[in-house]
Amino acid sequence: MQRAAVFSESGLQELLGRVCEKTRLMAPVRRGKTSFEFQWISNPREVQSSYVRTVLSPKKAFMPPRETILDFTRGPNQGASPHLEQEPFVLFGIHPCDLTAVNQLDWAMGQRHGVEDPSYLARRAAATIVALDCLPDEYCFCTSVGSCHTRKGADVFLTPVETGFYAEALTDKGAKLLEGAARREPTAGEEAEAKAFPDEKERRTTTKIKAGMAELPDLLEPSYHSAVFENTALRCYSCGTCTNVCPTCFCFDVDDEVNLPLTMGTRWRKYDSCQFLDFAVVAGGHNFRRERKDRVRHRWFRKFVYLLREHGMPFCVGCGRCSQACTAGISLVDVLNSVLAEAREGVAR
Amino acid sequence: MTTTVQRRFPNQKPEALYTPEIAKITRAENLTQQDRFLEIELPGGKELGHKPGQFVQVSIFGFGEAPISISSSPAKRGRFELCVRRMGGLTGKLHAFEAGDEVGIRGPLGNGFPMEELQGADCLIVAGGIGMAPLRSVVQSILAEREKYGRLMLLYGNRSPADILFKDELAEWGKDDRNQVLVTIDSPAEGWTGNVGVVTTLFQQIQLDSKRPTVAAVVGPPVMYRFVYAELAALHLPDSRIYFSLERRMKCGVGKCGNCQIEGKYCCVDGPVFTGEEIRQFHESI
Repeated sequence: MQRAAVFSESGLQELLGRVCEKTRLMAPVRRGKTSFEFQWISNPREVQSSYVRTVLSPKKAFMPPRETILDFTRGPNQGASPHLEQEPFVLFGIHPCDLTAVNQLDWAMGQRHGVEDPSYLARRAAATIVALDCLPDEYCFCTSVGSCHTRKGADVFLTPVETGFYAEALTDKGAKLLEGAARREPTAGEEAEAKAFPDEKERRTTTKIKAGMAELPDLLEPSYHSAVFENTALRCYSCGTCTNVCPTCFCFDVDDEVNLPLTMGTRWRKYDSCQFLDFAVVAGGHNFRRERKDRVRHRWFRKFVYLLREHGMPFCVGCGRCSQACTAGISLVDVLNSVLAEAREGVAR
Repeated sequence: MTTTVQRRFPNQKPEALYTPEIAKITRAENLTQQDRFLEIELPGGKELGHKPGQFVQVSIFGFGEAPISISSSPAKRGRFELCVRRMGGLTGKLHAFEAGDEVGIRGPLGNGFPMEELQGADCLIVAGGIGMAPLRSVVQSILAEREKYGRLMLLYGNRSPADILFKDELAEWGKDDRNQVLVTIDSPAEGWTGNVGVVTTLFQQIQLDSKRPTVAAVVGPPVMYRFVYAELAALHLPDSRIYFSLERRMKCGVGKCGNCQIEGKYCCVDGPVFTGEEIRQFHESI
């Protein structure tokens, strides 16, 4: 492994320019006054290395909102073949929370139930990930869910410093990416600055879940019928924005599309949402989560009871997207803390 | 990423997870107005290799995919059978399919009934409507190795006489005095001399043997389970000997898409067969 190096702003621009010439690059760009988006980059000058969060998460690099999973032909010689995107790309600028989400998805789509999702894994194997550390805003709560200092999954890890970016190659892939780029050895001051960054990040993250993750499933489970979920449901529109912007939600719907002469077509999937009424419908129109409060509770339980218990980590990385994007202004942390407060008072049930 | 995945489908190429095999329909006939029987052969006469209670995803390219229970026993070699109820686009389309037509097949999927738990026990099979399809696979497996199982008690409820599936086979099964085949319809109908009432009304006609364990396998519409569960509890059947196969709308069938979640479980991989113990822990199962 190489030693750390420092890139200036212009050095980074140059590096991204070289990446763009050789391979595809996905990185954050500015969309509106205060909104950002991960996008395929043609002009490296568009890349924003200072942003708090994007509207959609970088999950879309591995699992786009809508993607083809099969190509098929119809008629007498019908057949189907998997549709795999294997073209290499660089995913630049993902924050540690989103990197944590990638690790979560690697498990959910890659190993869970002993089944590997071919479409996800093809894109994942084609990716080189450059992670970028960040400072929080009032929606961020990465320190509560253990995603604040994640480096696993990154090929290169960048820490912002006064003079540019303190870069560490964490894998051979990452080292190769940095090869030949204009950089210099860090000064002692830059070393100290990079080292102090995680503490500063923690210090500034003031939004917190008022419980440790390990104790959450047992604390929440008795609150299945909590009035907090009912009250939240009164405000919720079941629009599914929260699950769409979530970097760890991975449920999908599948359907077919055919061409005009009906000779061939594609089977595609798109993000689905447990917040939609028809998501849990079964035969005869029966629905075990017909009430909105049931779907609201399911979202919190899925993230902080079911999957936390199964995988040992919550399926929430504290990115704050759902709370910021919610049409009704529902805060994931506030709801969770209200349920916890109620559970502790013993008024639940 | 780790490479130490305990693979669920070790004989399948990983990239083919969502790719159906093209299989041929070798026999097709209507069992009732809404149910069509299909006998299917995989390429080269390959065995499906299923357990009773498992399902396959049936594809028609351009129409989509739907989970369908396998209704034949693994004892039948070379081909397997499905019973398809006309529900929507894809199943409606399947009703127009004839022998010689092709469909896409993925599977077998799901856990299936633990037949080894039924062996040596009296088998109480409770079917409601199309629930008879997967349970026919269970019954046929019992009959294929009859000496391994105790008594067979089959309680089968339908809306009307016209909805009863596999009538000839029911009559055949009932000829063996080790088998008790009881059929009911929901409300009186002309020409029907059998039991009238929902499936739970048949429980008064059976008697459990105190000297031998009884194991129950139950498949029916969602509304049926609570009532059947109460009857089984009244018979003092322990939860560990009750198996319910739950119906959910599986899309991927392999534990990814999330459509069939029952709280923390996925019906397609953790089920569709759940024990009474598991059912009791769920809020959302029955």
